[in-house]
Amino acid sequence: MKFRGKIIDIACLNHFTRVVTTISKLTKMCVLRLTPDNLFFVLSGKVANGGVSMWCELSQANFFDEYQMEGVSSEDNEICLEVTPENLSRALKTVQNAKAVKVKLTKKHCPCLTIAAELPTLSSVSRVVTHDVPVDVIPRRLWHEFKEPSMPDFDVSIYLPPLKTMKNIVDRMKNLSNFLVIEANLNGEMNLKIETDLVSVTTHFRDLGNPPWGDDASQDGGPSQSRDPESMVEARVDIRRLQQFLVGQQVNPSKAMCNIVHQSVLHLILLHEDMSLQYFIPAVA
Amino acid sequence: MNCVLEGNSIKAFGKAIHALSRVGDELWLDPTVKGQYNLDSVREQDSGPIKCKLVMKCVLPLFRCSTSIEHSVKRCQISVSTGSDQVIVQFFCRHGITKTYNVRFLESEALQAVFASHLCPNVLKSPARLLGDMVMHFHASQEEVTLSMSAPKVSLRNYNEGRNDHMKMMHTEMSLHPDEFDYFQAGMDSDITFCLKELRGLLCFAESHCLPVSVHFGTPGKPVCFSVEDMVLEATVVLATLADFESRGPSQPTETPAPTTHSCADAAALPVGIHETQSNNLQVLPDVTELVESSQGSPITYPPVLMQLQCQGDSACAGMTPPSSMICSLLFEAMSSESGDDDDAPRLPVLAYFSDEEDYPRSPSL
Repeated sequence: MKFRGKIIDIACLNHFTRVVTTISKLTKMCVLRLTPDNLFFVLSGKVANGGVSMWCELSQANFFDEYQMEGVSSEDNEICLEVTPENLSRALKTVQNAKAVKVKLTKKHCPCLTIAAELPTLSSVSRVVTHDVPVDVIPRRLWHEFKEPSMPDFDVSIYLPPLKTMKNIVDRMKNLSNFLVIEANLNGEMNLKIETDLVSVTTHFRDLGNPPWGDDASQDGGPSQSRDPESMVEARVDIRRLQQFLVGQQVNPSKAMCNIVHQSVLHLILLHEDMSLQYFIPAVA
Repeated sequence: MNCVLEGNSIKAFGKAIHALSRVGDELWLDPTVKGQYNLDSVREQDSGPIKCKLVMKCVLPLFRCSTSIEHSVKRCQISVSTGSDQVIVQFFCRHGITKTYNVRFLESEALQAVFASHLCPNVLKSPARLLGDMVMHFHASQEEVTLSMSAPKVSLRNYNEGRNDHMKMMHTEMSLHPDEFDYFQAGMDSDITFCLKELRGLLCFAESHCLPVSVHFGTPGKPVCFSVEDMVLEATVVLATLADFESRGPSQPTETPAPTTHSCADAAALPVGIHETQSNNLQVLPDVTELVESSQGSPITYPPVLMQLQCQGDSACAGMTPPSSMICSLLFEAMSSESGDDDDAPRLPVLAYFSDEEDYPRSPSL
């Protein structure tokens, strides 16, 4: 197994760092899948993280000037590593002004992702900084847990309001309740509701717009087309999971939307120029 | 004591307090003869200059907002009132406002750590910025780092030995070329491990004043000294370093100790060998060991080899089980730019911290 990548462009380094930092805010540990064309940060839905799962896809060509990898075998030309994204984020944040940054899979006291940066100095000799981030290699037999999630058979798909606005509202609602109901319809309307014994608060959003999936994306086509555009579909989620998702977003995505499967799952999708992020929050009763 | 600060000095003083607050919880004010100190008033009193020990928590808030101090405070007067055991800090501000703070103190002798930096084989001098850039690569939670000197280069790496999960921790290392330093003297190859937290305070102070920082060190186990100076002030931080178990000197026992947890916290929780030196010519480096405020919570062990401190003659070697001995010494000398005479070598005012004074026989001068 070999992996060697090099980032020279400062903007690419900056974007990559931001992606890794976003991931680090969403989860403490995740799986990094390396394929010849892509990098994936994957979190599989387990009881330990409240059933939340995540899939983040980056095209390596958007970030790396050089990228070479050799997977476990020629049929399985892939590398699967369990990593703590915060370590990667910390390492990358300190080398933002580097002339070049190399990311390599190495074996030191344990398997590591080594981030080696060449920093500019006033003298003729460059300064070299290395960060060894320990990783765990995931064996092939477990790879099935980290596959790309399939698009759920959603009832409503709607564009999200500005994430910052949503975050402000969710932050305040979190003080009042542990659970939040997110409901939306095919008329571009979304409500965020909390309800306790003492108080109920609802924030209404209008004219959000609905993505044009309905025609071809939905598996059996029928139910979503015949749905009454006014009727609301809802999912009740743990408010902290939603807040965690919103806190991590540092940059406005090109597109932000969510799919709701009635009382089952909330599927959030963010599309940026160079990466896509999907986040699944299961609904609670 | 009566001391007056004006203009930029107030800001510098405040910054010094900030830097010191990152080192310890207590502050000693030790006025010297130089400056605006009034000799006559001292003679009237029976004792000499008052040495005040203040709780940092009480003093720091006074100088917390350096920007507002810069804008509104024109003059700062610090005086000591022995009658009421108080240090009185007065800020004379704009618009005729005077703010007076009375801070209670304990009279106590400060411990003076002595360090012969001119005897150190390894010396580095660089702008504070360079050291700041080096240290920036380590996360704020990183307790200890190892600085390695070997002739063609200097490297800095984080130190995680002895922690339970050290296999899983991130390792960071960086190296610098001698050309990057203003002054580079590699007398001997040496790896010293010391606590980063206290150093950050000094680097912050040095960077804000754009002062170069000098580093003096020698073998592992001997202290390392970081110092900055300019025309009106001088600051020094002396930190303990971990002794190197691998290198064995003739004075050490033959049995191999089992080093369990290595950390500056452990190295420091050891008997302090205090030397009596008669003259100001310091020939011997005291083996001061420090318990720096490490929140590692690692168990305190006493590997036998570290007990072999160079206690000489009838100097006081304390007992084997100190609960905690802390010496973080920051020597701060405020030199008035007006005083031109240097006839008597100034006794350095000492801001040093030594708890559990009852357990250790103190010598007033080391």
